[in-house]
Amino acid sequence: MPKRRDILAIVLIVLPWTLLITVWHQSAIAPLLAIRKGTNDGTETRHDTGPATDSKEYCSQDKDIVEVVRTEYVYTRPPPWSDVLSTIHVITPTYSRPVQKAELTRLANTFLHVPNLHWILVEDSQRRTPLVTRLLRETGLNYTHLNVETPRNYKLRGDTRDPRIPRGTMQRNLALRWLRETFNSNSSQAGIVYFADDDNTYSLELFEEMRSTRKVSVWPVAFVGGLRYESPKVNAAGKVYGWKTVFDPHRPFAIDMAGFAINLRLILFKPQAYFKLRGVKGGYQESSLLRELVTLNDLEPKAANCTKILVWHTRTEKPVLVNEGKKGFTDPNVEI
Amino acid sequence: MRMRLKLKTVFVLYFMVSLLGLIYALMQLGQRCDCRGHAMSKDQQISQLRGELQKLQEHIKTSELSKKTDVPKIYVITPTYARLVQKAELTRLSHTFLHVPQLHWIVVEDAPQPTPLVTDFLAASGLTYAHLHKLTPKDRKLQEGDPSWLKPRGAEQRNEGLRWLREMGAAAEGKEAAALEEAVVYFADDDNTYSLQLFEEIRYTYRVSVWPVGLVGGMKFERPVVEDGKVVRFHTGWHPNRPFPIDMAGFAVSLRLILTNPQARFDGDAQMGFLESSFLQHLVTMDDLEPKADLCTKVLVWHTRTEKPKMKREDTLQKQGLGSDPDVEV
Repeated sequence: MPKRRDILAIVLIVLPWTLLITVWHQSAIAPLLAIRKGTNDGTETRHDTGPATDSKEYCSQDKDIVEVVRTEYVYTRPPPWSDVLSTIHVITPTYSRPVQKAELTRLANTFLHVPNLHWILVEDSQRRTPLVTRLLRETGLNYTHLNVETPRNYKLRGDTRDPRIPRGTMQRNLALRWLRETFNSNSSQAGIVYFADDDNTYSLELFEEMRSTRKVSVWPVAFVGGLRYESPKVNAAGKVYGWKTVFDPHRPFAIDMAGFAINLRLILFKPQAYFKLRGVKGGYQESSLLRELVTLNDLEPKAANCTKILVWHTRTEKPVLVNEGKKGFTDPNVEI
Repeated sequence: MRMRLKLKTVFVLYFMVSLLGLIYALMQLGQRCDCRGHAMSKDQQISQLRGELQKLQEHIKTSELSKKTDVPKIYVITPTYARLVQKAELTRLSHTFLHVPQLHWIVVEDAPQPTPLVTDFLAASGLTYAHLHKLTPKDRKLQEGDPSWLKPRGAEQRNEGLRWLREMGAAAEGKEAAALEEAVVYFADDDNTYSLQLFEEIRYTYRVSVWPVGLVGGMKFERPVVEDGKVVRFHTGWHPNRPFPIDMAGFAVSLRLILTNPQARFDGDAQMGFLESSFLQHLVTMDDLEPKADLCTKVLVWHTRTEKPKMKREDTLQKQGLGSDPDVEV
């Protein structure tokens, strides 16, 4: 018969250790120690204050999300600030698939030509992958590498249009949150925020057009909505009054993700504006953010009053990997 | 009795020590913000200096790039044809090429004459280029709805590129001719993806160099297998018994070899997958191949393909006479 005293003794022994381990685990002391040891290659690790802040994003909308998504920010190579040029913060969600490295490589080759560009790459993964980490380091770009995993029950299955979170939403929202936590509205640093998917094609002219954005600027995008291009309708006074699209032109903002840019100040000024996570009809994702930021009247048309195509919504074919077979034919250690 | 007492003290001591340890750790965490505060300004400074250093390095690189005339030239032959994504493909391709010093882009259109789209594009690209054109004869051309593998594509255009190079080679004299001896020729399709590293690997090719290509042949990558610094066979899942089971993007040929072998060309009637072999088998044997990309262990080029954009709504509108403005170039 175990005596009460013995049980008490065991509890008193185990308790401090369990507390210690849980606290330690949650805060991931290791990077903290790394910093204190002086591994100062410009790395700064910040952490979310526990699960509460994260679940706030989803729990308020429905209760079936039990999985807590923990996010980690790694902010490396902060851009050198220029007094003259606004910094363009390019937010790119990405996820692992065979063409990922290729897409990011050619995207980086484009970005390397744009001065004062800050690439915020957000992986849809549980941890930052070595592939992306290495790629970002080798490009020489100014970047911030973030990650957040879309919960499995939210991921789109293939290309089916589900009433679930459209791909990249959580990643874009994380980047917005990072921007709001990093920059304060009093800062004089001018910035433009642009959402660039990793399979589109961008001309260099586009980035120079968006640099002068005061609130939200818009322009045509090729190959969206089943058309050669979709474009905002601009009247003689240079104001946007409608949308030249076939697919639901009555959306508040009938525009593709690649067709607009937002001034950073506006993002900071309206800290509650995020992409809506659930219950968003197909094609309304962009509206869910923009309607909280700006009205149609405030939109600034670029690209020669929306008559030039400077961005193409290209999509890359899924590579045929039949010859890999079930066990894999090629060396899995070779990174593609 | 005494034993028990000792044990009790041990336990109490242990409990106190672990409690103190916990409090210490919690205090550490609490202090974290302060530490970061201190480290941050230093971090920021270092990052800023790094950023400035990088900027300067890039500046040096770009000025070096324009001055770098002593490295072998790379002639890139790209066949292209008009379709919706053509301008987009050429645009992002040019962004890659702009980083490569001494690159001469030979764009060959599958067209009866140069198109304004490509002409204007090349003029604004900032690259050194040659704009050629050669129409594929109808019987060799893929028809709408044909699968892409039915007929080899780009053979006539690549041959036209070779013809232009040979013409240039024959006309060159003195220093120019000497420079051509070192130059390299690479066949780059307009929808693949190329890393910048690839071009530095290609640049020093004596005869024919080879390397792995990603996302081709129904596999993650195809590659030559290298033993003792020599290519002994090819690792491919599709028709490995071809003379050269390698993709167009997986090899480069020295210009000298091309000029000294005027009969070497691509056979437009070749069986599927044999286009590369039809060209290479006149130039080199497997033994002479130069393996690049860390003895063919790294993937520096990917055989990406771009989806055809869906134009259902556009087609419907055009039937109604309400199609998008054709003057807007896409």
